Amino acid sequence: MARYGFVVDLKRCYGCYSCQVACKAANNTPMGIDWAWCRPSETGKYPSATRQMIPLLCQQCANPPCMEVCPTGATTQDENGIVHVDPDKCMGCKYCIMACPYGARQTVSGWKTYFPDAEGDLDPFEAYAKKEWEKTWGYGVATKCDFCHDRRAEGKLPACVEACPAKARYFGDLDDPTSEVSVLIRRERGFQLNPELGTDPSCYYLPPR
Amino acid sequence: MSTTTTTNEPRVKEDVWIPTSCGGCYAQCGVLVHRVDGTVVGIEGNPDTPAGSGRICAKGTAQVMTLYDRHRINYPVKRTNPEKGVGVDPKWERISWEEAMDTIVEKLQGMDDRRGAYFQATTVQTSEIRFAVPAFMKAFGFKNYWVSGGGLWCGNGAHFMNGIMHAAWSIIPDWHHNNYTLYFGCSKGHGAGHAALQTAQWVADARARGMKAVVFDPFLSTQASKGHEWVPIRVGTDGAAALGMINVILNEVGEWDDKYLKLRTNAPYLIGPDEHYVRDPETNKPLVWDAEEERAKTFDDDSVKDFALLGTYEVNGVTCHPSFQLLKDHVKKNYPLDKVEKITSVPAETLRQIARDFVKHAQIGSTIVIDGKELPLRPSAAIFFRGSQGHVNSGWNCLEIDMLNHIVGAADVPGGAMGHGPPVCHGHPTTGKPETTPYACPDGLMEVKGWVYDHKPYPLREPKAPVRLDLQDMFPCSVYNAFTICTDRWEEYLEDFKIPYKPEVMINFGSNSVMTMANAEDVTENFLKKFKFVFSFNIYQNEFTEAVADIVLPDACFLERYTPCVTFPSTFSHPTGMDHWVWQIRQPVVEALFERRDFNEVMIDLAKRLGIQDTYYDAINNLIPIRYGGEMSERYKLKPGGEYTWTDIVDAVLRDRLGDEMGLDELKKTGLEKWPTKVEEMYWRWFQPARVPIYFEYFKEFGEKSRKIAKQFGHEHIMDWSFYKPLAEWFPCPSHEMEGTDFDLWAFSWRPSFHTQSSTQNNPWLDELSMQDPYVYLMQLNAETGRKKGLKDKDVVIVENSIGRKIEGPIRLVEGMHPEHIGIAGCHGHWARGTPLSKGKGQFYDDLIIVDEAHTDSLTQGTDACVKVKIYKKNGR
Repeated sequence: MARYGFVVDLKRCYGCYSCQVACKAANNTPMGIDWAWCRPSETGKYPSATRQMIPLLCQQCANPPCMEVCPTGATTQDENGIVHVDPDKCMGCKYCIMACPYGARQTVSGWKTYFPDAEGDLDPFEAYAKKEWEKTWGYGVATKCDFCHDRRAEGKLPACVEACPAKARYFGDLDDPTSEVSVLIRRERGFQLNPELGTDPSCYYLPPR
Repeated sequence: MSTTTTTNEPRVKEDVWIPTSCGGCYAQCGVLVHRVDGTVVGIEGNPDTPAGSGRICAKGTAQVMTLYDRHRINYPVKRTNPEKGVGVDPKWERISWEEAMDTIVEKLQGMDDRRGAYFQATTVQTSEIRFAVPAFMKAFGFKNYWVSGGGLWCGNGAHFMNGIMHAAWSIIPDWHHNNYTLYFGCSKGHGAGHAALQTAQWVADARARGMKAVVFDPFLSTQASKGHEWVPIRVGTDGAAALGMINVILNEVGEWDDKYLKLRTNAPYLIGPDEHYVRDPETNKPLVWDAEEERAKTFDDDSVKDFALLGTYEVNGVTCHPSFQLLKDHVKKNYPLDKVEKITSVPAETLRQIARDFVKHAQIGSTIVIDGKELPLRPSAAIFFRGSQGHVNSGWNCLEIDMLNHIVGAADVPGGAMGHGPPVCHGHPTTGKPETTPYACPDGLMEVKGWVYDHKPYPLREPKAPVRLDLQDMFPCSVYNAFTICTDRWEEYLEDFKIPYKPEVMINFGSNSVMTMANAEDVTENFLKKFKFVFSFNIYQNEFTEAVADIVLPDACFLERYTPCVTFPSTFSHPTGMDHWVWQIRQPVVEALFERRDFNEVMIDLAKRLGIQDTYYDAINNLIPIRYGGEMSERYKLKPGGEYTWTDIVDAVLRDRLGDEMGLDELKKTGLEKWPTKVEEMYWRWFQPARVPIYFEYFKEFGEKSRKIAKQFGHEHIMDWSFYKPLAEWFPCPSHEMEGTDFDLWAFSWRPSFHTQSSTQNNPWLDELSMQDPYVYLMQLNAETGRKKGLKDKDVVIVENSIGRKIEGPIRLVEGMHPEHIGIAGCHGHWARGTPLSKGKGQFYDDLIIVDEAHTDSLTQGTDACVKVKIYKKNGR
């Protein structure tokens, strides 16, 4: 079995938010819900200050704290290491949201239109997105990134990987030492976020410089 | 789809991907649009095209929200409130297309003088306006136009200089080979619209292999944060920094690309005491000094063994110097580093080190073989754009930065600064079109066959007694002149310059000039309100339509219409380096919704109703060779009396340019046609015998001609004619001469990579990003400066300029900002009723811009966009 993982090359990323919007479009997430998002930061003092964008997503931990706390068994880990939520089993207790150190999970209480000032019905796209969302997730349950499970089933890469203008995102098998992700992590000193927590994320970051 | 079915589900479910071109910005990347049962449900990059190379940015993905934006205009409307002005409610009333067209025809036919018509357009519709705008102008008989943001956001200085030096619209480094780039006020490769997605990938590749970027910018911009070094610099002083570095290179390092300067520039041309070329009395050709034979020869004499670049010579009784010697002496005398440090605030030692590194990385003398051709390898480049050009010194700033490239021979060779879009194109293998080629004029300087833009590389446009409403035609280098039309002196100018007609009807294509020319009041009151009738094609109501439009027509957006080509002229879509040329079309992915109509169709209809369709067709026949390089075959020319639709015209263009079999139906299948680029096209400099100037001998003469015309009409001092000189100079903006006043900060604007000018702020997905980003809706102020002023993060402040114009908003205290500056994301702070999502978010920077003669580049008539301001806390100073 493969262990699917992700590499974000901070050296290549220039903080354009394309991943975030591509994720929203591909997964029809409602207003305010982003499974891929970006965290800008500034460090240091003028004139030696630096700014760095950190693109984030579910880290697909090998030891997922979210799964540990799930009282209903809605959160599971598949044979490829990807953590899933079964909306039919989730009762919306939000323990997982509390437990996730990366802020990767969100719940939605109901569909809110992006055009609150407009009159009349939802536009055709929002109507489609709402239908798709309700078909897959519905409301009151924990939701998160699954490395674009449905796209991969069609032989595609996750949406954020395909969109990234700077080619800063990679997807592949961490267990295969010859895979692009494994080579990158090895060669470019890839690191995990908060390794001290023992979650063993499947997402790695390559240093900005 | 017609199906007989008893269930709600259609029998055949549609699920298709349609290849077309994005219209989210002017880069026009190739996209695949996902349509399910008639609804667009996603937009992704098209991996088959080099234009975007399969990637997509936030703006592109978010365009689905623009297609279905519930604030779009769906029906023609007319203004019922006779009052016009900034913020006025036009009280729109829905009308029929018939009524709209009848009114428009009546207004156009009732004009006192057709020359008083005026076109305004936006660069976002860049490919489409190439037909509808100039063809209609020609057929109806007027010459006045403005492309939104021109002269301020882009335009005059940058494009003018790139034309002269690179036969192109812009310059970018050849990231395939570049190792060292100096950035001045530009974000190329970091989301800027010039081939945005290819360059983003290439610059990331270059960074990964160790390319160093040194970024001159007043704030820690995206490119600065990704760069090797950020050099905080005062706004508007880039040219001085460049001249200081040129001084270091020529007079301290003493290293330059001898061969390049001798054979590809006018550096060896002898200059006499009158500042002009010393010419051969017989042939009138400029003379050079053959150092080996110790005598003067014409520049193109094959027997010249060694072109002298330095020295003093006597020729035909006059003392003369190679222009290079004059440049070298000029920078030594006038741009010593201590002086440059005072102007720019950049430490002399920093400039010295960067200049040395720039030369070192240029590897002068090194070569590389590409496709069997040995070429110079010069992996250093200096590039610029809007930040450098938005100043009184617009033209010269850009030139001075680019001159760094020419001194080390890093121009249009591997690793160096490249003309963009590439100016040499041998055309499609079947037809040889489009064709563009630089060549040498009789003086040896570069001209271009197939030049499409308003500013010519050489010679400059001949100044004439003006007939245009903005007086553009009396200046040799101007493209857009805001300082005439946007001031309360406009009518005085029109009278004094004896313009024999008045502004009457404005036709606007999507432009939001109220927010993109200067401060909204001046643009509206002095300029737009002078038109008796304004009609406008728009996808949503904006500050422009609400202020002045009489009729607004619901335009189809880029996902609802055809365009024969979005990637030629290669201005915005083709980066450089070996890849492919691509001819990419735009096709509708859904029928235009509601009563929206493609403005191209409407303009044909309008030409018919006005009875000028044959001249309109003729104008299109004449435009195609200009826009898409190369004569049109008789077979595909539009014939008088023909009843053409827009798709007929698109089909004719495609077959004429790409071959008889390559009509619209064929192109719709893939959305594009591509063919490999050649090394002679991409790295063209040494394949073309043309030279470029480092000494602008002819500027003075053209300035004189222009001055003479100004004087003739009683406005001799309309410009500062000292800008028209042969040697590069740095001229200060008014803001640089306000030391010791209360106005202690420079304000400047910048552009987030996920917005396009003033057109995307109402897109809800992009607005969501703006709210999340720490800098877009807050004004960035250096933290220490803020503390000294007693200000805290998120305090709401008033920003006031020297004539009392104010904007207000919250501040963000940051470390990544020069202490003398406040940085504001441009084109925000919308107020139109038609775009409620963007209303009141962020600040409208342009309201601080002062537009008059003093804030105008005398050389290119670009507008100065830097302003000295004071800031204070709202409600209590």
